[in-house]
Amino acid sequence: MKLLSPRERKFLENRLKGLYGVEEGFNDLVLIKCGRGRIRATTKETLELASRLRGIQQIGLYVMKISNGDISLSVEGSQLLNDEIKENVIELDEERVEKWMKAIPIKTETTYHGRYVIGKFNRLYLGSARVSRNGLLYPQIPKWRRIPIAKNSE
Amino acid sequence: MLGEIKLSEGLREYLSKMPDLDLDLLLEAYRRPLPTSFRVNTLKMDEYEILEMLKEKGVSFKKIPWARYGYVVENNSIDLGKTLEHMLGLIYIQAPISMVPVEVLDPKPGERILDLCAAPGSKSTQIAQLLNGLGVLVANDISFERVKALASNLQRFGVLNVIITLMDGRKFPRFAHECFDKVLVDAPCSSLGIVSKNWGIARSWSPEIAKRLSKVQRQLIVAGFDCLKPGGELVYATCTLTVEENEMVIQHLLEKRENAVLKEIDLPSLKYRCGIVEWNGTKFDEELRKTIRVMPYDNWAEGFYVARILKEGDS
Ligand SMILES: C[S@@+](CC[C@H](N)C(=O)[O-])C[C@H]1O[C@@H](n2cnc3c(N)ncnc32)[C@H](O)[C@@H]1O
Repeated sequence: MKLLSPRERKFLENRLKGLYGVEEGFNDLVLIKCGRGRIRATTKETLELASRLRGIQQIGLYVMKISNGDISLSVEGSQLLNDEIKENVIELDEERVEKWMKAIPIKTETTYHGRYVIGKFNRLYLGSARVSRNGLLYPQIPKWRRIPIAKNSE
Repeated sequence: MLGEIKLSEGLREYLSKMPDLDLDLLLEAYRRPLPTSFRVNTLKMDEYEILEMLKEKGVSFKKIPWARYGYVVENNSIDLGKTLEHMLGLIYIQAPISMVPVEVLDPKPGERILDLCAAPGSKSTQIAQLLNGLGVLVANDISFERVKALASNLQRFGVLNVIITLMDGRKFPRFAHECFDKVLVDAPCSSLGIVSKNWGIARSWSPEIAKRLSKVQRQLIVAGFDCLKPGGELVYATCTLTVEENEMVIQHLLEKRENAVLKEIDLPSLKYRCGIVEWNGTKFDEELRKTIRVMPYDNWAEGFYVARILKEGDS
Protein backbone atom coordinates (compact mmCIF):
# COMPACT_ATOMS: atom_id res chain seq x y z
CA MET A 1 0.00 0.00 0.00
CA LYS A 2 1.43 3.32 -1.11
CA LEU A 3 0.07 6.84 -1.36
CA LEU A 4 -0.54 8.34 -4.79
CA SER A 5 2.25 10.77 -5.63
CA PRO A 6 1.19 14.38 -6.38
CA ARG A 7 1.84 13.69 -10.07
CA GLU A 8 -0.30 10.56 -10.09
CA ARG A 9 -3.02 12.40 -8.22
CA LYS A 10 -3.00 15.25 -10.72
CA PHE A 11 -3.26 12.78 -13.59
CA LEU A 12 -6.17 11.03 -11.89
CA GLU A 13 -7.99 14.30 -11.27
CA ASN A 14 -7.56 15.28 -14.89
CA ARG A 15 -8.97 11.95 -16.02
CA LEU A 16 -11.93 12.24 -13.64
CA LYS A 17 -12.61 15.65 -15.07
CA GLY A 18 -12.27 14.51 -18.67
CA LEU A 19 -14.38 11.38 -18.28
CA TYR A 20 -17.01 12.38 -15.75
CA GLY A 21 -16.80 16.18 -15.46
CA VAL A 22 -15.67 15.90 -11.83
CA GLU A 23 -14.17 19.21 -10.65
CA GLU A 24 -13.38 18.72 -6.98
CA GLY A 25 -12.64 15.01 -6.81
CA PHE A 26 -11.65 13.36 -3.56
CA ASN A 27 -10.59 16.67 -2.09
CA ASP A 28 -9.62 16.15 1.55
CA LEU A 29 -9.14 12.42 1.29
CA VAL A 30 -5.94 10.46 1.09
CA LEU A 31 -5.69 8.11 -1.91
CA ILE A 32 -3.81 4.85 -1.58
CA LYS A 33 -2.61 2.50 -4.32
CA CYS A 34 -3.35 -1.12 -3.53
CA GLY A 35 -2.12 -2.98 -6.58
CA ARG A 36 -3.35 -3.61 -10.13
CA GLY A 37 -4.54 -0.02 -10.57
CA ARG A 38 -6.88 -0.24 -7.59
CA ILE A 39 -7.26 2.82 -5.41
CA ARG A 40 -8.66 3.23 -1.92
CA ALA A 41 -9.65 6.43 -0.14
CA THR A 42 -9.41 7.27 3.53
CA THR A 43 -8.98 10.19 5.92
CA LYS A 44 -5.67 11.67 7.08
CA GLU A 45 -6.43 10.75 10.68
CA THR A 46 -6.99 7.13 9.69
CA LEU A 47 -3.69 6.97 7.87
CA GLU A 48 -1.87 8.49 10.84
CA LEU A 49 -3.22 5.87 13.21
CA ALA A 50 -2.42 3.10 10.71
CA SER A 51 1.28 3.92 10.96
CA ARG A 52 1.15 2.64 14.55
CA LEU A 53 -0.68 -0.61 13.93
CA ARG A 54 0.26 -4.09 12.73
CA GLY A 55 -1.54 -6.78 10.79
CA ILE A 56 -3.26 -4.25 8.55
CA GLN A 57 -5.36 -5.87 5.82
CA GLN A 58 -7.14 -2.84 4.43
CA ILE A 59 -7.60 0.86 4.98
CA GLY A 60 -10.66 2.90 4.03
CA LEU A 61 -12.85 2.35 0.99
CA TYR A 62 -12.13 0.85 -2.40
CA VAL A 63 -13.11 3.67 -4.77
CA MET A 64 -11.82 2.94 -8.25
CA LYS A 65 -9.64 1.05 -10.65
CA ILE A 66 -7.57 2.84 -13.24
CA SER A 67 -6.08 1.17 -16.28
CA ASN A 68 -4.68 2.85 -19.39
CA GLY A 69 -6.29 6.10 -18.28
CA ASP A 70 -9.77 4.59 -18.05
CA ILE A 71 -11.47 4.79 -14.68
CA SER A 72 -13.98 2.32 -13.33
CA LEU A 73 -15.60 3.63 -10.14
CA SER A 74 -16.83 1.29 -7.42
CA VAL A 75 -20.36 1.77 -6.07
CA GLU A 76 -18.94 3.63 -3.07
CA GLY A 77 -16.45 5.59 -5.22
CA SER A 78 -19.30 6.95 -7.31
CA GLN A 79 -21.37 7.67 -4.20
CA LEU A 80 -18.50 9.64 -2.67
CA LEU A 81 -18.17 11.78 -5.79
CA ASN A 82 -21.95 11.98 -5.98
CA ASP A 83 -23.24 15.00 -7.87
CA GLU A 84 -19.73 16.04 -8.81
CA ILE A 85 -20.30 13.48 -11.57
CA LYS A 86 -21.69 15.39 -14.54
CA GLU A 87 -21.02 13.28 -17.64
CA ASN A 88 -21.09 9.70 -18.82
CA VAL A 89 -24.02 8.82 -16.58
CA ILE A 90 -26.87 6.51 -17.43
CA GLU A 91 -30.13 7.05 -15.55
CA LEU A 92 -31.73 3.72 -14.70
CA ASP A 93 -35.38 2.95 -14.15
CA GLU A 94 -36.57 0.32 -11.68
CA GLU A 95 -36.37 -2.52 -14.16
CA ARG A 96 -32.86 -1.66 -15.29
CA VAL A 97 -31.55 -1.04 -11.79
CA GLU A 98 -32.52 -4.65 -10.95
CA LYS A 99 -30.53 -5.80 -13.97
CA TRP A 100 -27.61 -3.57 -13.01
CA MET A 101 -27.45 -5.04 -9.51
CA LYS A 102 -27.66 -8.55 -10.95
CA ALA A 103 -24.78 -7.65 -13.33
CA ILE A 104 -26.96 -8.51 -16.33
CA PRO A 105 -25.82 -6.64 -19.50
CA ILE A 106 -28.02 -3.67 -20.39
CA LYS A 107 -28.78 -2.51 -23.93
CA THR A 108 -28.22 1.12 -24.77
CA GLU A 109 -28.69 3.30 -27.82
CA THR A 110 -26.59 6.16 -26.49
CA THR A 111 -22.91 6.45 -27.30
CA TYR A 112 -20.60 7.20 -24.42
CA HIS A 113 -17.03 8.40 -24.44
CA GLY A 114 -14.55 6.32 -22.52
CA ARG A 115 -14.74 2.64 -21.66
CA TYR A 116 -17.00 3.06 -18.64
CA VAL A 117 -20.30 4.68 -17.80
CA ILE A 118 -21.74 5.38 -14.34
CA GLY A 119 -25.21 4.15 -13.33
CA LYS A 120 -27.66 6.30 -11.43
CA PHE A 121 -31.00 5.40 -9.89
CA ASN A 122 -32.99 8.30 -8.46
CA ARG A 123 -30.31 10.12 -6.48
CA LEU A 124 -28.07 7.12 -5.96
CA TYR A 125 -24.94 6.35 -7.95
CA LEU A 126 -24.26 2.67 -8.58
CA GLY A 127 -20.67 2.43 -9.81
CA SER A 128 -19.51 1.72 -13.35
CA ALA A 129 -20.46 -0.49 -16.27
CA ARG A 130 -18.10 -1.36 -19.09
CA VAL A 131 -19.27 -0.09 -22.45
CA SER A 132 -18.94 -2.65 -25.23
CA ARG A 133 -18.92 -1.96 -28.97
CA ASN A 134 -22.10 -3.96 -29.49
CA GLY A 135 -24.15 -1.42 -27.52
CA LEU A 136 -24.24 -3.40 -24.29
CA LEU A 137 -23.27 -2.15 -20.84
CA TYR A 138 -21.70 -4.64 -18.45
CA PRO A 139 -22.25 -3.51 -14.83
CA GLN A 140 -19.14 -4.05 -12.71
CA ILE A 141 -20.96 -5.16 -9.57
CA PRO A 142 -18.74 -7.56 -7.62
CA LYS A 143 -20.17 -11.07 -7.23
CA TRP A 144 -20.58 -10.82 -3.46
CA ARG A 145 -23.03 -7.95 -3.68
CA ARG A 146 -25.13 -8.89 -6.66
CA ILE A 147 -28.85 -9.44 -6.24
CA PRO A 148 -29.14 -13.18 -6.87
CA ILE A 149 -30.88 -14.17 -10.09
CA ALA A 150 -33.96 -16.29 -9.39
CA LYS A 151 -33.50 -19.80 -10.83
CA ASN A 152 -36.59 -19.76 -13.05
CA SER A 153 -36.02 -16.30 -14.56
CA GLU A 154 -33.79 -15.32 -17.53
CA MET B 1 -43.44 -30.66 12.06
CA LEU B 2 -40.34 -29.30 13.77
CA GLY B 3 -38.58 -31.69 16.10
CA GLU B 4 -38.21 -30.92 19.77
CA ILE B 5 -35.24 -28.89 20.95
CA LYS B 6 -32.66 -30.95 22.84
CA LEU B 7 -30.38 -29.68 25.58
CA SER B 8 -27.21 -31.56 26.43
CA GLU B 9 -27.13 -33.13 29.91
CA GLY B 10 -24.48 -30.64 30.97
CA LEU B 11 -26.56 -27.67 29.81
CA ARG B 12 -29.73 -28.85 31.53
CA GLU B 13 -27.85 -29.25 34.79
CA TYR B 14 -26.08 -25.90 34.39
CA LEU B 15 -29.26 -23.96 33.66
CA SER B 16 -31.10 -25.56 36.56
CA LYS B 17 -28.57 -23.98 38.92
CA MET B 18 -28.83 -20.48 37.48
CA PRO B 19 -30.65 -17.94 39.61
CA ASP B 20 -33.46 -15.95 38.06
CA LEU B 21 -33.87 -18.25 35.03
CA ASP B 22 -37.15 -19.69 33.79
CA LEU B 23 -36.30 -22.83 31.82
CA ASP B 24 -39.74 -23.19 30.22
CA LEU B 25 -39.65 -19.65 28.93
CA LEU B 26 -36.08 -20.13 27.74
CA LEU B 27 -37.08 -23.21 25.74
CA GLU B 28 -40.00 -21.36 24.28
CA ALA B 29 -37.70 -18.50 23.22
CA TYR B 30 -35.27 -21.01 21.69
CA ARG B 31 -38.12 -22.48 19.63
CA ARG B 32 -39.16 -19.11 18.19
CA PRO B 33 -37.23 -17.67 15.23
CA LEU B 34 -35.45 -14.39 15.93
CA PRO B 35 -37.23 -11.27 14.70
CA THR B 36 -35.83 -9.74 11.51
CA SER B 37 -34.39 -6.32 12.13
CA PHE B 38 -32.10 -3.83 10.46
CA ARG B 39 -30.36 -0.50 10.81
CA VAL B 40 -30.66 2.19 8.19
CA ASN B 41 -27.33 3.57 7.01
CA THR B 42 -27.27 7.30 7.49
CA LEU B 43 -23.69 7.43 6.13
CA LYS B 44 -25.22 6.88 2.69
CA MET B 45 -28.66 8.43 2.70
CA ASP B 46 -31.25 10.15 4.77
CA GLU B 47 -33.08 7.83 7.22
CA TYR B 48 -36.52 8.91 6.02
CA GLU B 49 -35.70 8.29 2.35
CA ILE B 50 -34.44 4.78 3.02
CA LEU B 51 -37.53 3.94 5.06
CA GLU B 52 -39.71 5.23 2.24
CA MET B 53 -37.94 2.96 -0.25
CA LEU B 54 -38.65 -0.03 1.99
CA LYS B 55 -42.28 0.96 2.49
CA GLU B 56 -42.72 1.09 -1.26
CA LYS B 57 -41.58 -2.52 -1.37
CA GLY B 58 -44.31 -3.40 1.12
CA VAL B 59 -42.01 -3.80 4.14
CA SER B 60 -43.62 -2.65 7.36
CA PHE B 61 -41.50 -2.08 10.44
CA LYS B 62 -41.40 -0.63 13.92
CA LYS B 63 -38.67 1.46 15.58
CA ILE B 64 -36.43 -0.39 18.04
CA PRO B 65 -36.52 1.89 21.08
CA TRP B 66 -33.03 1.07 22.39
CA ALA B 67 -31.09 1.48 19.13
CA ARG B 68 -30.70 4.58 17.03
CA TYR B 69 -31.59 3.81 13.40
CA GLY B 70 -32.79 0.31 14.36
CA TYR B 71 -36.07 -1.17 13.11
CA VAL B 72 -37.79 -4.51 13.48
CA VAL B 73 -39.72 -5.93 10.54
CA GLU B 74 -43.40 -6.62 11.23
CA ASN B 75 -44.27 -8.54 8.05
CA ASN B 76 -41.76 -10.95 6.61
CA SER B 77 -43.05 -10.48 3.07
CA ILE B 78 -39.65 -10.21 1.37
CA ASP B 79 -36.15 -11.45 1.98
CA LEU B 80 -34.35 -8.25 3.01
CA GLY B 81 -30.98 -9.83 2.25
CA LYS B 82 -31.83 -9.89 -1.46
CA THR B 83 -33.03 -6.31 -1.77
CA LEU B 84 -31.38 -3.43 -3.56
CA GLU B 85 -31.29 -1.57 -0.24
CA HIS B 86 -29.19 -4.32 1.31
CA MET B 87 -26.87 -4.78 -1.68
CA LEU B 88 -26.24 -1.04 -1.83
CA GLY B 89 -25.58 -0.82 1.89
CA LEU B 90 -28.56 1.40 2.65
CA ILE B 91 -29.58 -1.04 5.36
CA TYR B 92 -27.66 -3.48 7.52
CA ILE B 93 -29.47 -6.58 8.72
CA GLN B 94 -28.70 -7.05 12.41
CA ALA B 95 -30.60 -8.73 15.23
CA PRO B 96 -32.18 -6.33 17.75
CA ILE B 97 -30.24 -7.11 20.95
CA SER B 98 -26.97 -7.23 19.01
CA MET B 99 -27.44 -3.46 18.62
CA VAL B 100 -27.23 -2.95 22.40
CA PRO B 101 -23.44 -3.15 23.04
CA VAL B 102 -22.63 -0.31 20.64
CA GLU B 103 -25.44 1.81 22.09
CA VAL B 104 -23.80 1.29 25.49
CA LEU B 105 -20.38 2.15 24.03
CA ASP B 106 -21.96 5.29 22.60
CA PRO B 107 -19.33 6.28 20.02
CA LYS B 108 -18.93 10.01 19.46
CA PRO B 109 -17.61 11.64 16.27
CA GLY B 110 -13.86 12.21 16.57
CA GLU B 111 -13.11 9.25 18.85
CA ARG B 112 -10.60 6.49 18.17
CA ILE B 113 -12.36 3.19 18.64
CA LEU B 114 -11.07 -0.38 18.63
CA ASP B 115 -13.43 -3.26 17.86
CA LEU B 116 -11.21 -6.12 18.99
CA CYS B 117 -13.33 -9.08 17.76
CA ALA B 118 -15.08 -7.44 14.86
CA ALA B 119 -16.03 -9.96 12.17
CA PRO B 120 -18.39 -10.06 10.36
CA GLY B 121 -18.91 -6.41 11.24
CA SER B 122 -22.44 -5.76 12.51
CA LYS B 123 -21.13 -3.75 15.41
CA SER B 124 -18.24 -2.22 13.45
CA THR B 125 -20.65 -0.75 10.92
CA GLN B 126 -22.81 0.52 13.78
CA ILE B 127 -19.78 2.19 15.40
CA ALA B 128 -18.78 3.71 12.05
CA GLN B 129 -22.26 5.10 11.60
CA LEU B 130 -22.16 6.84 14.97
CA LEU B 131 -18.64 8.21 14.31
CA ASN B 132 -20.14 9.73 11.18
CA GLY B 133 -16.83 9.95 9.32
CA LEU B 134 -14.89 11.64 12.13
CA GLY B 135 -12.35 9.81 14.23
CA VAL B 136 -11.08 6.33 13.40
CA LEU B 137 -12.39 2.80 13.76
CA VAL B 138 -9.99 -0.11 13.98
CA ALA B 139 -11.83 -3.35 13.20
CA ASN B 140 -9.82 -6.43 14.13
CA ASP B 141 -10.40 -10.16 14.01
CA ILE B 142 -8.25 -13.27 14.28
CA SER B 143 -9.91 -15.21 11.45
CA PHE B 144 -8.80 -14.62 7.86
CA GLU B 145 -12.07 -15.98 6.43
CA ARG B 146 -14.18 -13.82 8.69
CA VAL B 147 -12.05 -10.73 7.98
CA LYS B 148 -13.04 -11.09 4.32
CA ALA B 149 -16.71 -10.80 5.30
CA LEU B 150 -15.84 -7.90 7.60
CA ALA B 151 -14.11 -6.07 4.74
CA SER B 152 -17.08 -6.62 2.41
CA ASN B 153 -19.55 -5.36 4.97
CA LEU B 154 -17.52 -2.24 5.75
CA GLN B 155 -17.14 -1.53 2.03
CA ARG B 156 -20.84 -1.91 1.36
CA PHE B 157 -21.61 0.31 4.33
CA GLY B 158 -19.32 3.02 2.88
CA VAL B 159 -16.87 3.44 5.76
CA LEU B 160 -13.85 5.65 4.97
CA ASN B 161 -12.29 6.04 8.39
CA VAL B 162 -11.54 2.39 9.10
CA ILE B 163 -8.49 0.19 9.42
CA ILE B 164 -9.05 -3.55 9.20
CA THR B 165 -6.49 -5.70 10.98
CA LEU B 166 -5.98 -9.45 11.15
CA MET B 167 -4.47 -10.24 14.50
CA ASP B 168 -4.88 -12.16 17.70
CA GLY B 169 -6.54 -9.47 19.81
CA ARG B 170 -4.50 -10.56 22.80
CA LYS B 171 -1.40 -9.11 21.13
CA PHE B 172 -2.85 -5.67 20.48
CA PRO B 173 -1.41 -3.88 23.54
CA ARG B 174 2.12 -4.65 22.32
CA PHE B 175 1.80 -1.80 19.83
CA ALA B 176 -1.45 -0.02 20.69
CA HIS B 177 -1.08 0.52 24.44
CA GLU B 178 -3.36 3.37 25.66
CA CYS B 179 -4.18 4.29 22.09
CA PHE B 180 -8.00 4.30 22.04
CA ASP B 181 -10.84 6.35 23.52
CA LYS B 182 -13.15 3.36 23.44
CA VAL B 183 -12.83 -0.39 22.99
CA LEU B 184 -15.46 -3.01 22.22
CA VAL B 185 -14.74 -6.61 23.14
CA ASP B 186 -17.55 -8.63 21.57
CA ALA B 187 -15.96 -11.89 22.56
CA PRO B 188 -16.19 -15.34 20.99
CA CYS B 189 -18.59 -17.27 23.23
CA SER B 190 -20.69 -20.41 23.59
CA SER B 191 -23.69 -18.62 22.01
CA LEU B 192 -26.45 -19.76 24.38
CA GLY B 193 -28.26 -16.51 23.64
CA ILE B 194 -28.80 -17.38 19.98
CA VAL B 195 -29.83 -21.04 20.11
CA SER B 196 -32.96 -20.20 18.10
CA LYS B 197 -30.66 -19.66 15.10
CA ASN B 198 -29.06 -23.06 15.56
CA TRP B 199 -30.46 -25.67 17.93
CA GLY B 200 -27.24 -27.63 17.65
CA ILE B 201 -25.60 -25.16 20.05
CA ALA B 202 -27.77 -26.44 22.92
CA ARG B 203 -27.25 -30.08 21.99
CA SER B 204 -23.47 -29.88 21.95
CA TRP B 205 -22.85 -27.41 24.81
CA SER B 206 -20.62 -28.59 27.63
CA PRO B 207 -19.14 -26.87 30.71
CA GLU B 208 -15.68 -27.50 29.23
CA ILE B 209 -16.55 -25.31 26.21
CA ALA B 210 -17.50 -22.44 28.50
CA LYS B 211 -14.33 -22.89 30.56
CA ARG B 212 -12.10 -22.92 27.51
CA LEU B 213 -13.72 -19.80 26.11
CA SER B 214 -13.59 -18.10 29.49
CA LYS B 215 -9.80 -18.29 29.40
CA VAL B 216 -9.59 -16.56 26.00
CA GLN B 217 -12.22 -14.00 27.04
CA ARG B 218 -10.21 -13.06 30.14
CA GLN B 219 -7.11 -12.50 28.04
CA LEU B 220 -9.04 -10.50 25.46
CA ILE B 221 -10.70 -8.20 27.98
CA VAL B 222 -7.38 -7.40 29.68
CA ALA B 223 -5.78 -6.75 26.28
CA GLY B 224 -8.67 -4.51 25.24
CA PHE B 225 -8.48 -2.64 28.53
CA ASP B 226 -4.74 -2.05 28.12
CA CYS B 227 -5.39 -0.46 24.73
CA LEU B 228 -7.64 2.16 26.35
CA LYS B 229 -6.44 5.65 27.15
CA PRO B 230 -6.96 6.64 30.80
CA GLY B 231 -10.48 8.02 31.01
CA GLY B 232 -11.57 5.74 28.18
CA GLU B 233 -14.37 3.18 28.23
CA LEU B 234 -14.60 -0.47 27.31
CA VAL B 235 -17.73 -2.46 26.59
CA TYR B 236 -17.57 -6.23 26.99
CA ALA B 237 -20.34 -8.26 25.41
CA THR B 238 -21.24 -11.87 24.69
CA CYS B 239 -24.33 -13.56 23.32
CA THR B 240 -24.25 -16.26 25.96
CA LEU B 241 -25.62 -16.91 29.44
CA THR B 242 -22.88 -18.64 31.42
CA VAL B 243 -21.32 -16.96 34.44
CA GLU B 244 -17.85 -18.22 33.44
CA GLU B 245 -18.01 -16.27 30.17
CA ASN B 246 -19.64 -13.19 31.63
CA GLU B 247 -19.41 -12.07 35.27
CA MET B 248 -16.29 -14.13 35.96
CA VAL B 249 -14.51 -12.44 33.04
CA ILE B 250 -15.33 -9.01 34.44
CA GLN B 251 -14.35 -10.12 37.96
CA HIS B 252 -11.00 -11.21 36.50
CA LEU B 253 -10.43 -7.77 34.95
CA LEU B 254 -11.33 -5.99 38.21
CA GLU B 255 -8.77 -8.13 40.01
CA LYS B 256 -6.06 -7.63 37.38
CA ARG B 257 -6.49 -3.89 36.79
CA GLU B 258 -7.31 -1.74 39.78
CA ASN B 259 -8.19 1.27 37.63
CA ALA B 260 -11.07 -0.69 36.02
CA VAL B 261 -14.39 0.61 37.32
CA LEU B 262 -17.86 -0.64 36.39
CA LYS B 263 -20.40 1.91 35.20
CA GLU B 264 -24.18 1.80 35.18
CA ILE B 265 -25.96 0.93 31.96
CA ASP B 266 -29.15 2.77 31.28
CA LEU B 267 -31.28 1.60 28.39
CA PRO B 268 -34.89 2.55 28.84
CA SER B 269 -37.43 0.22 27.28
CA LEU B 270 -35.07 -2.77 27.03
CA LYS B 271 -35.96 -5.59 29.40
CA TYR B 272 -32.99 -7.01 31.30
CA ARG B 273 -31.77 -8.07 34.73
CA CYS B 274 -28.62 -7.25 36.65
CA GLY B 275 -25.42 -9.28 36.75
CA ILE B 276 -24.98 -12.27 39.08
CA VAL B 277 -22.83 -11.69 42.19
CA GLU B 278 -22.71 -15.18 43.65
CA TRP B 279 -22.09 -18.45 41.81
CA ASN B 280 -21.19 -21.94 43.01
CA GLY B 281 -20.50 -20.61 46.50
CA THR B 282 -18.15 -17.86 45.29
CA LYS B 283 -19.05 -14.23 45.89
CA PHE B 284 -18.07 -11.62 43.30
CA ASP B 285 -17.66 -7.88 43.55
CA GLU B 286 -21.07 -6.30 44.29
CA GLU B 287 -20.36 -3.81 41.51
CA LEU B 288 -21.09 -6.59 39.05
CA ARG B 289 -24.75 -5.79 39.57
CA LYS B 290 -24.12 -2.90 37.20
CA THR B 291 -23.59 -5.32 34.32
CA ILE B 292 -26.67 -6.51 32.46
CA ARG B 293 -28.07 -9.88 31.41
CA VAL B 294 -30.67 -9.98 28.69
CA MET B 295 -32.49 -13.32 28.58
CA PRO B 296 -33.87 -14.49 25.21
CA TYR B 297 -37.40 -14.36 26.64
CA ASP B 298 -36.99 -10.82 28.04
CA ASN B 299 -37.58 -9.25 24.65
CA TRP B 300 -38.26 -12.42 22.59
CA ALA B 301 -34.99 -11.90 20.79
CA GLU B 302 -31.36 -12.89 21.49
CA GLY B 303 -29.80 -13.31 24.91
CA PHE B 304 -26.83 -11.06 25.66
CA TYR B 305 -24.54 -9.98 28.47
CA VAL B 306 -23.09 -6.46 28.51
CA ALA B 307 -20.67 -4.70 30.85
CA ARG B 308 -19.45 -1.12 30.69
CA ILE B 309 -16.06 -0.38 32.22
CA LEU B 310 -14.23 2.89 32.74
CA LYS B 311 -10.45 3.13 32.87
CA GLU B 312 -9.89 5.59 35.67
CA GLY B 313 -7.30 8.28 35.21
CA ASP B 314 -6.90 11.64 33.53
CA SER B 315 -7.65 11.61 29.85
C1 LIG C 1 -19.13 -12.83 18.57
S1 LIG C 1 -18.11 -12.80 17.18
C2 LIG C 1 -18.00 -11.10 16.82
C3 LIG C 1 -19.20 -10.53 16.12
C4 LIG C 1 -18.96 -9.12 15.61
N1 LIG C 1 -18.54 -8.25 16.69
C5 LIG C 1 -20.19 -8.55 14.95
O1 LIG C 1 -20.94 -7.79 15.60
O2 LIG C 1 -20.40 -8.80 13.76
C6 LIG C 1 -16.53 -13.13 17.88
C7 LIG C 1 -15.36 -12.97 16.93
O3 LIG C 1 -14.15 -13.09 17.69
C8 LIG C 1 -13.16 -13.58 16.83
N2 LIG C 1 -12.03 -14.04 17.69
C9 LIG C 1 -11.88 -15.20 18.34
N3 LIG C 1 -10.72 -15.22 19.01
C10 LIG C 1 -10.12 -14.02 18.79
C11 LIG C 1 -8.88 -13.44 19.20
N4 LIG C 1 -8.02 -14.09 20.00
N5 LIG C 1 -8.59 -12.20 18.74
C12 LIG C 1 -9.43 -11.53 17.93
N6 LIG C 1 -10.61 -12.04 17.52
C13 LIG C 1 -10.95 -13.27 17.94
C14 LIG C 1 -13.86 -14.65 16.04
O4 LIG C 1 -13.18 -14.91 14.82
C15 LIG C 1 -15.25 -14.01 15.82
O5 LIG C 1 -15.30 -13.37 14.58
